[in-house]
Amino acid sequence: MTSFLKKHQIIIASALLLIFSLHLALTDKKEPARGALIKDILTAMASPIEKAAGGAQNGVIGIFENYVLLLNTKTENDSLKAALIAVQAENNKLREEVNLNARLKELLAYKEDSDFSTITASVISFGTNDWAGTALINKGHAEGVKKDMAIITPLGVMGRVINAGANTSRVLLNTDPRSNIDVVVRRTRVKGVIEGNGSDALYLKYIRQLDDVQAGDEVITSGLTGIFPKGLVVGTVIKTEKGGDNFFKQIDVWPAVEMSRKLEEVLIVTDIGTVLE
Amino acid sequence: MKEFLIFPPLTLIYLALKSTVFQSVPLPDIPLLFVFYIGFRKASVAGVAVAFALGYMEDALTGGIFGLTSLALVSIFLIVHLMSKRVHFSSPAMRAGGAFTLAFAKGLIVYLLMSFIGLKAPFLLRTLLKAAITAAFAPAVILLLMRISSRLNKPGLANTE
Repeated sequence: MTSFLKKHQIIIASALLLIFSLHLALTDKKEPARGALIKDILTAMASPIEKAAGGAQNGVIGIFENYVLLLNTKTENDSLKAALIAVQAENNKLREEVNLNARLKELLAYKEDSDFSTITASVISFGTNDWAGTALINKGHAEGVKKDMAIITPLGVMGRVINAGANTSRVLLNTDPRSNIDVVVRRTRVKGVIEGNGSDALYLKYIRQLDDVQAGDEVITSGLTGIFPKGLVVGTVIKTEKGGDNFFKQIDVWPAVEMSRKLEEVLIVTDIGTVLE
Repeated sequence: MKEFLIFPPLTLIYLALKSTVFQSVPLPDIPLLFVFYIGFRKASVAGVAVAFALGYMEDALTGGIFGLTSLALVSIFLIVHLMSKRVHFSSPAMRAGGAFTLAFAKGLIVYLLMSFIGLKAPFLLRTLLKAAITAAFAPAVILLLMRISSRLNKPGLANTE
């Protein structure tokens, strides 16, 4: 018996870990809080690297824009070049601050116009594996962020918090297949559910063949689940087809907020206020 | 055994860079290549545990479903371990071919399990692209790991294996 176990120890250990992994995967939805501590530890370990990598990337872009393009000047006049680089670096920094200022102004204007309470957060990184769409933001429960708070931008809905750590939170993007949002088609008030397609776009589900939904229709939040304030833009219908089951339509939607690296600041909805259904 | 300790921090750095600087650049599946290497060169119970840990880290740091990547990487480890008795991944072409097959197998395992859970995800084109990139980098990454391993196991350095 012992020799059998010893001979096949790798296969036995693999089988046990396969069963354990399968159990984790199949019960992940039921126990979302599981692994929160490990997630927090790993995120705390990874976020300095992510922040440093983001900073280094900006530095490299700055060097390319402000140094490499000025190499000829250096050969003509080293001292002038040094001064110019310093000015360019300063200019680059100021331009970045102007850009940041403009983006924050836009967020602030949106915040003041909205009926719900929000706090501003910055995107640290995007969690990218082959299908999951998540992002890491720089606010956590220390700033009052809780699970299932909505994440929005002036353009529309970005996602919701799935895990709030001490100073960072993980956001489930609309494009993730696990994301479901109750929505209404603005033009016809037809109700449906938006689901991520695991890539760049969304599906609008549970729209019957007889319902009036066309390409170009805007899809907005219904406010039904109490997570997202009512009336926020989720996306625009780009294609409608007869579904395979002959009962529901198959509808593709392009998200209002493109989940790209250009997204830097977002709003966390801390209180959706009074929702009138 | 000692060299197994380098895989988690390297995976952490890889995932951090992938989610920031290389967010829009298709990268090879480095954790998969680590597991491939461990499976055919250093198969042991500790190796299976590392495969599980790398998958768990990937799931935790990308916000994926816990257990999904762990299951895929432990399966890959087991496949490589069983294959390595018959197939020798000694040439760069064999390593590239093996990496392509395994990356595709990983994508297929994830896709099938997601479908079982009831989630739709893109599969074929994305998986093929990822498998091709992983295969292209496989010989160089495995060679690098072999060099690191031989440095760590040099006489004079404690070998805990």
